[in-house]
Amino acid sequence: MLHFKFKSFIWLICIWTVVQSPAFASQDKIEQSVFRITNYQQSPDWKSPWKMKPTSRGLGSGFLIQENLILTNAHVVSDSRMLLVNKISFPEPFLADVVAIAHDSDLALLKVRDAKFYHNLTPLELGGIPELRSRVRAYGYPMGGQELSRTEGVVSRIEFGTYVHPGIDSHLLIQTDSAINPGNSGGPVTQSGKAIGVAFQSNLRLNDVGYFIPVPLITRFLSDIEDGKYDGVPEIGVETSSLINKHYRRYLGLPEKTSGILVDRVAPHSSADGVILSGDVLTKIEDLPIDSAGMVNYGEQKVTFYIEAENRQIGDLLKIQVWRQGKFKNLTLTLKAPPFGAEMRNSYDELPEYLIFGGLVFIALNRNYIHSPGNITPSLAYEHWYRELERPRTRLDQAIIISRVLPSSVNSGYSSLQNFIVTTLNGKSINTLNDLDKMLKEMPKDTRHVVFGSEWQKMPLVLDFKKCLEQQKTILERYGILHASNLYDQQSRKSQ
Amino acid sequence: MIKKNLSFYLLSLSLFGVTFVFPPVLAADSPELEPWFKKAVLIKSYQQSYDWLTPWEKLEIRTQTGMALVVSLNSTKIKNAEADLKQNLFLLTTAEIVADATLIEATRKDMRHPFQAELVLMDYAANLALLKIENSKFWDKLIPVEWSPAKSTAKTAENDIYSLKIKSAQEWEMESGTIKQMAIGHREVSDSWLPLLKLSGVTKSGQGFPILQDNETVGIVLENSAGGAKALPASKVLEFLEHASNDSYRSLSHRGFNWRRLPQRSAADFYKIPEEKPGVWISRVLPFGTGSDVLERGDYLTKIGKWKITHDGKIKHPEWGLSLFDLLFLDQLKVGDPLELEVIRKGKLILLETKVAAYEEYGRTVPLKKVGFAPKYVIQGGFLFQELSMNYLAMWGASWHSRAPTRLRLFLSQNETVMIHEKKTNYDNLTGSKAEEFTPRVVLVTQVIPDQINIGYQKLTNAVVLKINGLQIQRLKDVSDAFSKPDSEFHLIEFLPGSNRLSVVLPVDQIKQSNRRIQNNFRIPKLQSL
Repeated sequence: MLHFKFKSFIWLICIWTVVQSPAFASQDKIEQSVFRITNYQQSPDWKSPWKMKPTSRGLGSGFLIQENLILTNAHVVSDSRMLLVNKISFPEPFLADVVAIAHDSDLALLKVRDAKFYHNLTPLELGGIPELRSRVRAYGYPMGGQELSRTEGVVSRIEFGTYVHPGIDSHLLIQTDSAINPGNSGGPVTQSGKAIGVAFQSNLRLNDVGYFIPVPLITRFLSDIEDGKYDGVPEIGVETSSLINKHYRRYLGLPEKTSGILVDRVAPHSSADGVILSGDVLTKIEDLPIDSAGMVNYGEQKVTFYIEAENRQIGDLLKIQVWRQGKFKNLTLTLKAPPFGAEMRNSYDELPEYLIFGGLVFIALNRNYIHSPGNITPSLAYEHWYRELERPRTRLDQAIIISRVLPSSVNSGYSSLQNFIVTTLNGKSINTLNDLDKMLKEMPKDTRHVVFGSEWQKMPLVLDFKKCLEQQKTILERYGILHASNLYDQQSRKSQ
Repeated sequence: MIKKNLSFYLLSLSLFGVTFVFPPVLAADSPELEPWFKKAVLIKSYQQSYDWLTPWEKLEIRTQTGMALVVSLNSTKIKNAEADLKQNLFLLTTAEIVADATLIEATRKDMRHPFQAELVLMDYAANLALLKIENSKFWDKLIPVEWSPAKSTAKTAENDIYSLKIKSAQEWEMESGTIKQMAIGHREVSDSWLPLLKLSGVTKSGQGFPILQDNETVGIVLENSAGGAKALPASKVLEFLEHASNDSYRSLSHRGFNWRRLPQRSAADFYKIPEEKPGVWISRVLPFGTGSDVLERGDYLTKIGKWKITHDGKIKHPEWGLSLFDLLFLDQLKVGDPLELEVIRKGKLILLETKVAAYEEYGRTVPLKKVGFAPKYVIQGGFLFQELSMNYLAMWGASWHSRAPTRLRLFLSQNETVMIHEKKTNYDNLTGSKAEEFTPRVVLVTQVIPDQINIGYQKLTNAVVLKINGLQIQRLKDVSDAFSKPDSEFHLIEFLPGSNRLSVVLPVDQIKQSNRRIQNNFRIPKLQSL
């Protein structure tokens, strides 16, 4: 929820550019390698999950990073139906395709279909983390004109922050005071002729605050996809509390000159599960001391200790020192993907899962749905956020809800029902939409009633099974629905 | 009344020929105004509620004005009712006008100076209050209102009711209106149900104003908003006046269950309900109220006493026609009346015997809005502990339903999944104060008052407390008890996951000093109020 509130003030910037001080390398060459990206996109209608919303046009920027690859933001090219790339001062667009996309870190790589596009272009070289207060320059195609824009500013802050595109992930980001406007996303931020980041979001609450994705996350992304698939940014999987309070440090018996952060919770199935325990104090990570606010030295400033996992790949090892029951212990974690399901992150590039039976529209609760207007009800919020925290391991693979009812005689009396959380069918627990589909298909033909039970509703929902089967086709036809369901295999989703 | 008007009209025609045009409206006669100078008085109250965010402080003073009606009680068992009060007279007004009042003034139309009134009895759930005035001069020549049942619009003329319109303390008038319907209203602050006469036309009347029909008093206005005025019918006022003098009076009769209509035939089939048996499905049995001792969730209620219930929960009311069956508990049945409930339970028709029970407000995890009580709190090491209550949630303003923290609002749902305490006991056999004592509550750290002892914890807010020093916290009193029993040199406070942090510790040897510092620094009169 905190992420959600934060999101209200952070905007993804489809095109922005920070211009740098004096020209170093060849400024002209840089400008030639920054492109305008036009995305004709279509996203699903979460209220009517079998439908797509009208096509819209999004504008962003990108830049050549390798001989024939363009780096941009994931949000610039998400839900794409057609991608066009324009070179500077060149009116005719080129068709492009997404070759890799990382929604968790808001990065994507494109390839233009026509090889002629790349003629006489020089890829931008990647730099490093800029110094605080140093000047940076950004390029891009923000709103307000057709030609390339160049702006300049200084690095004002380097820290972790929420990435709006996935909604739930926090990574390193760099703040600058350069002007940032919608349309800037995906453009390069440069220093000394090298790309030091990708412009991606701004804060509408503050003046002159824009953010770019720093090089370590970009190189991690490029390295991740070398094997042909994107695995994601690993996560340690612990929730922590500060030990700024000296009495708490004394209570834990921490030695005088030792600092660290308290582990409140270890997420099931995470990298830390079975290695770190709640109540441990994390004192060092990769030999870097962790302070009482959970920060470690990072260049000339401090950032959260999660940085050490973020710069690695899934499967890499990570050394951690903990203070446990009065002794230091050196542990090694094998890094894994974040321990939460895909439903916690904003979903792109795939159609919603749904199942229609007896005019009831069943969907799996996810971030996109709960953030749709009017859907943050206390019960949905509990299933989405609180259950796993308060009653660990009681959460089913999917929280199934009847999002709406397509009125028909078989469901008369229920037509105004919405957001009904379903937990059982005829007394049997439903784990996923696939389960529900299977249970309905395997239901004996002489079954009289289908009874959908809920922990949240005092009265179960009862329908005549035979009538549901009889009216299924009519309901789909009447409401112009081509398919009664769109289901994904949960095992394959988990392994993605 | 119509007859009288017609005669007047015909007489006019005969006297003055046809030169007169038709009179504009065939309206009922306006009741005489003067008798009301002896039956109604103006009320002004100065109210100061507690600030539940800073529970040792009070909010800004506000004033409310309205009317009180002179009433007499059947007996005078009410404590402090003085024998010298003339004719056992009292003033009846709404609870909302006098709730949290620091001063109540009553002004007669024929007297310039106001008299100070005192609250004798308040039924907040019914929104009624009784006031007394010690000075016997006030009661000179005042006469009590006589109450009569309201009649439905179908049986009367249009514009069939009147109420008072107060232009100034000295300028009173009558205004006419209509009873739109007798409805069942939900009073959210007390989660109680009331029969309400919904009125149109009476735009100027306020709280406590009388409603007159055929020159008889049939109700008292409880509220008047853009949606129209709502009045409590005389039947409920009479019940209140009849029982108010009784020491054991709690409130008016109330149902002790929630219900749903069966949405369709297949649901009825599933529950083995014969098609010819209309009724409603019992979705929840409340801890208290009529039927709570005999009904079970899933029962199908078909009859209450002699009244058959329709599929949508209505009965054929003798006066108001097809009405929600709640009206029975509010209108036809009185607390203590024996009552038979006919239900279908697991496919079998059975009769359950019970007694009509009063509304009760205790036994709730989140207590309902309270007035006239100082909030309870405990401060230890700057941590402000309070029980979650409707008063606290109301601090998020009129739209607290959407603005108050989601996790706190979840406790209102009474859903077992989200509750944090096991139900301690069966309340059925407990009486009021006992049940109150055993009801587990949700204790919060609502804020951390800054002090050097709590550096690093100060962002904590609205954290649900699970344990202190290993002891489960189910009531605010448990907090004080737990702090008196540290099991080491530190107090350990543990919170529900999802809070800003899961635990804090405070050094036992420094907490008294810190409490003194906080008390002085923030000018807090008391470190705890239980």
